[in-house]
Amino acid sequence: MTIPVTFWSYFAELAGCAETVVTLSDGATVGVLLQRVYQMHPPLAGLRRSTLIAVGVEYQDDGYVLRPGDRVSLFPPVQGG
Amino acid sequence: MNRFLSITVEPIDEPSLLASRSASSGMGAVVYFSGVVRGLEGGDRIAALDYSCFVPMAEHQFHQLFDRLAARGTVESVRLVHRIGRVAVGEASLWIEVVSAHRGEAFAACQWVIDEMKRVVPIWKKPIPPSDACDAPSPDAVGSNPHPSA
Repeated sequence: MTIPVTFWSYFAELAGCAETVVTLSDGATVGVLLQRVYQMHPPLAGLRRSTLIAVGVEYQDDGYVLRPGDRVSLFPPVQGG
Repeated sequence: MNRFLSITVEPIDEPSLLASRSASSGMGAVVYFSGVVRGLEGGDRIAALDYSCFVPMAEHQFHQLFDRLAARGTVESVRLVHRIGRVAVGEASLWIEVVSAHRGEAFAACQWVIDEMKRVVPIWKKPIPPSDACDAPSPDAVGSNPHPSA
């Protein structure tokens, strides 16, 4: 399956793009996706501990099992207000 | 619980918001807060903040917060406006109003929504130094990240 990944805020600058696509085996988790993303965009790897992950419009963690049609967003801590 | 949410690039029209207030006769407390862009960010002078936002998720997360607020059963109304795009120093980026029967509930609810917003609502700000300031909004400030709807 192919999973679109969007980078928000300064993560897009670090990744060098606002969006990418990751191809994964069925049953892959967000954690597996992150490993692939960090191979593709090494500057993001150092920010792993502060990275927030959403699938669609809900927060998820590394253990979430991705499904075809899911869309992942990665972004830094939020700063509204 | 009545609710109103707006995430907008337009300046926050506080007089209009105040004029459209609605509160039933049992409500004794109206608390509103306006968050204004400061001239210093991290000790450096700035001209503005550029707010970017993952709008579909921000709307969803705000409504989840409002759902939790409604479950308390003590708030009659919440209205919240968050401006995105370039917001100059001195202008408001956030406006929130809570209507409740008593002031303690209203103050607490207003504070809680702001605190939770800063924890879960995907909005980010980028300082704009004075030398980079101009009248045109930043092209990447309003969700130019390609992303699907919810």
